[in-house]
Amino acid sequence: MHPILQQRLGRSAQYGVLLIVLVMLAFPIYYMVITSLKPPGEAYRLPPTLWPRNPTIDAYPFVMKAWNYFRSLLNTVLVAGAAAAGATLLGGLAAYGFSRMNFVGKSALYSALVATVAIPGMVTLGPVFIAYNDLGLLDTHIGLILIFMSDGIPFAFLTLFAYFRSIPRELDEAAWIDGAGLFSTLFRIIFPIAMPAFAVTFLLLFIAGWNEFLYAFTLTASPETRLLTVRLFEVPVRADANTTPYDLIAAGGVLILLPLIPLLVRVQKQLVQGILAGAVKG
Amino acid sequence: MTISPDMATAPLSLGGRLRTMMSGPNSFAYLIILPAIVLRLTYSIVPLFQTVWMSFTNRSITNPGRFIGLANYEFLIRDERLIGSLAFTLIYTFVSVALEVFLGLMLALLLMQSLRGRWLSNFIMLLPWVMAPLLAATVWKIMFYEDGGILNAVLRDLGVISSPIRWLSDANTARVSVIVVTVWKNVSWCALIFMAGLAALPKELYEAAEVDGANILQRFWFVTLPMLMPTVYLIVMLRGMAEVQTFEQINGLTRGGPGTATETLAVYAYSRFFQELRYGYGSAINLLLLLCSVTIGGFFAWRLYRANRSGL
Repeated sequence: MHPILQQRLGRSAQYGVLLIVLVMLAFPIYYMVITSLKPPGEAYRLPPTLWPRNPTIDAYPFVMKAWNYFRSLLNTVLVAGAAAAGATLLGGLAAYGFSRMNFVGKSALYSALVATVAIPGMVTLGPVFIAYNDLGLLDTHIGLILIFMSDGIPFAFLTLFAYFRSIPRELDEAAWIDGAGLFSTLFRIIFPIAMPAFAVTFLLLFIAGWNEFLYAFTLTASPETRLLTVRLFEVPVRADANTTPYDLIAAGGVLILLPLIPLLVRVQKQLVQGILAGAVKG
Repeated sequence: MTISPDMATAPLSLGGRLRTMMSGPNSFAYLIILPAIVLRLTYSIVPLFQTVWMSFTNRSITNPGRFIGLANYEFLIRDERLIGSLAFTLIYTFVSVALEVFLGLMLALLLMQSLRGRWLSNFIMLLPWVMAPLLAATVWKIMFYEDGGILNAVLRDLGVISSPIRWLSDANTARVSVIVVTVWKNVSWCALIFMAGLAALPKELYEAAEVDGANILQRFWFVTLPMLMPTVYLIVMLRGMAEVQTFEQINGLTRGGPGTATETLAVYAYSRFFQELRYGYGSAINLLLLLCSVTIGGFFAWRLYRANRSGL
């Protein structure tokens, strides 16, 4: 076979395989969106349809009302946002300290911080639940923010530690020589330069908080404090139906996923870089 | 009280040493590192010690608990439900991670061929990654619907099956189904990390191997893979620790069923601790889970450290 023809064939085969993989990755999500647009009867129709015959958005207002959607959305943005901001700030401060300074117990503290990632959330949740019960922190947003923050600190620390090591020390030293204090060096010189790294860390932690289930499910109870993802466990049922309301479940799923899509569109490249920075350098 | 003469020249007391540590350049360092460390340890090491302590007691919601020695652990090794969930957890972790690594690497090699449409393929790959595990489970639960769900319909139309597959109601099939969902969700993350690992490999080695007449499979097996081992260890370490504590996909798909066929250690611990409110026994199960996680994390961190030091 002619080499150029062979190369062309190879290329086509590669695109073919890639297409199959992408369809397999995307199809479940496509099918969820389609199911959410079906009227209740069609959601269990045999054979199932790949395209809604009579598309309707009726499932959405139903789910939004039953979930008190905007309240849950606000709760999620508040808790995930505050926790991500706190973890980024505290992790960033610690990362700067570890990258620039020497102090007693440095390597022991570093090991302690990093080793905590091996402790499963389930193992610590029990005592936290009991302590929250005693302290009145159950079913509060502050309780969730604190545990989400603590959960995000190792990731923020490792990502930003790698980042601070990659920017030259001379920068800090120049600021020092110019007579800037430690705090003003940090907040006026270093943090502004590190802003893009901070932003990506924040976004990744925000997504993690958005998706968190175990803590949010166990440590909250009332509809007013519950976050969005947990609500998938409380899918509403229509009064007259006795079958699983797949259209409502699907609409709920879309309502949880949709707010994150703009991130994948607008800052996709930065997110990918952030994923790599967090894992490869850690 | 009289002041003894040598006290002034004695080595600094503990308080004095602490003061020295906290003054000068050191104090600023502690000021900025301690908030993160204190918060993290408060939520990890402190509850960990409490879990260890509770596992030696019979504490429950109604019982303040007293020390019962190793009784929980003696019960642990005779608890068939525990043995079942431990076995399933280990198999689930091993199979999921093996598939994620293999398929992730294949996908990364494919995407490294600088094909067009990178933006779209990245977007689609990030979709499963950005979803909550519980949401991924929900998405698949809609497809796993057995009497007339889309998966069974498509497979029947393709002539692969004649009767519907019991995706979630047959024990063995359900075990496969939960693994499928986990691999689907995590394979793109693995591919992204592998792409970064592949991109960092020195190109000269490939060219040298090509000149030596190695074919594409030989080049992959003898040149690429050995140099890629640190990335493999990294992915196995992170995914292994994540899969071994799987909780929400299982809850979203099967709630551990049918029976206890897909019950993981975390699901079992949760049901003892938070549903039966048996804090002592639940803590003992949790410590077994911790042991699994620390073993996986520790072993692959050690391999990663050695591979990084000896190799590149």
